Amino acid sequence: MVNHGLVLNLVERTGALPMGATVTVSLDEGDPEHSAELVAAWCARSGNELVEVRGHVAIVRRGRRPDPLAELAPDQVPGTRLWIYTNFDCNLACDYCCVRSSPQSPRRALGADRVAQLAAEAVDAGVRELILTGGEPFLLPDLDTLVATCTAALPTTLLTNAMLFRGRRLDMLKRMDPARLVLQISLDSATPELHDRHRGARSWERAVTGIRIAQAEGFTVRVAATLEPDRINELGPFRDFLDTLGIDRENQVIRALAHRGVAETGLELTVESLIPEVTITADGVYWHPVSADHDDQLVTRELFPLRDAITEVQRRFVEHRARADAAAQWFPCA
Amino acid sequence: MSTPLIVGSVAYTPNVVTIWEGIRDYFANGPAEMDFVLFSNYGRQVDGLLAGHIDIAWNTNLAWVRTVAQTNGECRALAMRDTDTVFQTMFVTRTGSALSGLESLKGRRLALGSEDSAQAAILPVHYHQQAGLAEGDVELLRINSDVGKHGDTGRSELDALRAVMDDLADAAAIGINTWEAIGRDELMPGAFEVFWESPTYSHCNFTTLPTLSEERAEPWVEQLLAMDFDNPAHRPILEMEGLRKWVPPHLDGYDSLFKAVKQQGIPARW
Repeated sequence: MVNHGLVLNLVERTGALPMGATVTVSLDEGDPEHSAELVAAWCARSGNELVEVRGHVAIVRRGRRPDPLAELAPDQVPGTRLWIYTNFDCNLACDYCCVRSSPQSPRRALGADRVAQLAAEAVDAGVRELILTGGEPFLLPDLDTLVATCTAALPTTLLTNAMLFRGRRLDMLKRMDPARLVLQISLDSATPELHDRHRGARSWERAVTGIRIAQAEGFTVRVAATLEPDRINELGPFRDFLDTLGIDRENQVIRALAHRGVAETGLELTVESLIPEVTITADGVYWHPVSADHDDQLVTRELFPLRDAITEVQRRFVEHRARADAAAQWFPCA
Repeated sequence: MSTPLIVGSVAYTPNVVTIWEGIRDYFANGPAEMDFVLFSNYGRQVDGLLAGHIDIAWNTNLAWVRTVAQTNGECRALAMRDTDTVFQTMFVTRTGSALSGLESLKGRRLALGSEDSAQAAILPVHYHQQAGLAEGDVELLRINSDVGKHGDTGRSELDALRAVMDDLADAAAIGINTWEAIGRDELMPGAFEVFWESPTYSHCNFTTLPTLSEERAEPWVEQLLAMDFDNPAHRPILEMEGLRKWVPPHLDGYDSLFKAVKQQGIPARW
């Protein structure tokens, strides 16, 4: 039988807490399961929150914390944007690639049918933007079909290194809809040296040429640079250069290098430290595009129904935030 | 901007700061701006009111009775919570103990909360005297674990319930707020049951003195009563303070406590 003193202890100990603070209470060692149910029932009734049950203790928060999803900016809510890895193979072998793409990487393509299903389900699941990335998507012979499926459903962004805009691939680009598609092109520096060091000889020159081609075809171009964390404050000359290319400041995206894939340094990114961006690959659903080749951030192997995958990512995010807040309460500074 | 009204309150939980900062913000930029001062106990708060350090005191029912006594009835109540108009004391025992009505307490042990708690000590004694029980008929176990706060923390009432669980007492007298907090008899079936509940009486109110003019008090009361539970900006404060709306004071609800204080010879000031 459960010790009824447990409820008296809960009332007394939570009553002494500031709103939002947590307390750890011991459960009956003889019947922890029933005790935990009693704590949950008391929390539900009294307007407090059962954060977690671990073995023989329960962590209870005074009051209920706000919904972590409601605290995010609207475009940060997981599932607002859907990342889709179309292939993985690439014409470049960047030395910091977070998903280890290169010419030697085997193609792991989602294929037109699954991309079409994703685009269709995305609309119903509340996704507001699709983002296609490779490796290098222009290596796919049917990329224009994939993109057309996506742009018919939602505004879409296509990530590319812009080095393959000629011949058949330029024709594919011309068949894409500039009114519904933004091209996000990788460029790391205002001059070739840094960019080429990471991405290969003459890659800067060809990327800049690709930006101009895309602009000439009527596309909005967003430039995304990947920089080592200690260089992230040296942006003046780079931004000035992008200005001369006609890239709006709002389309100049600077991000820090992530210690993922083949990168030897960079920011350590974990599910606890990353707000998730639902990411689909041929292998499954991942927490974030920077970790789409890493099992530690695999959410599920089941791509469909997409709504379920998004719901699961959101559920885990809320759970991580609750744990992080509880941990912060356990280690006060004073 | 006129000088803000200063409201006193007793800090019985850290959330008092959150509550009063919220109420202060609610009054900001209005016709009756206010600030607040926190006291460690009701004795010092009433002293502060009488000394003119605060304009209004958020008083318990015992603090109200004592302020009336110390001002010869010249103080006045401005407002209270809706929940203050229907406060009750619950007499609680172990399920199956066969207690029924206050008379059945004769020869039994009754656990009381802190001696300055109207709901858990002063009124329970008054009620069992009213029921015809003489002094000594009931063995009183007094648990003075939060004296000064007039029972606000609930600590002494929880200790009284623990005494019942530990068979140190046959029954406990607690406020209805504590009874609600433990989930009444619904969360722990077989643990506790109520064998007598008191008539409703009044609990806290905002108390002031004649030195605060009607001209200054009225806009403040008017704005206070306008707080709206359905307004998301007001609701968290109202929930923390335990009410749905502020209401004019129900002074009739203090009659039983005035009688109890007189009968028990409780002094006007501690």
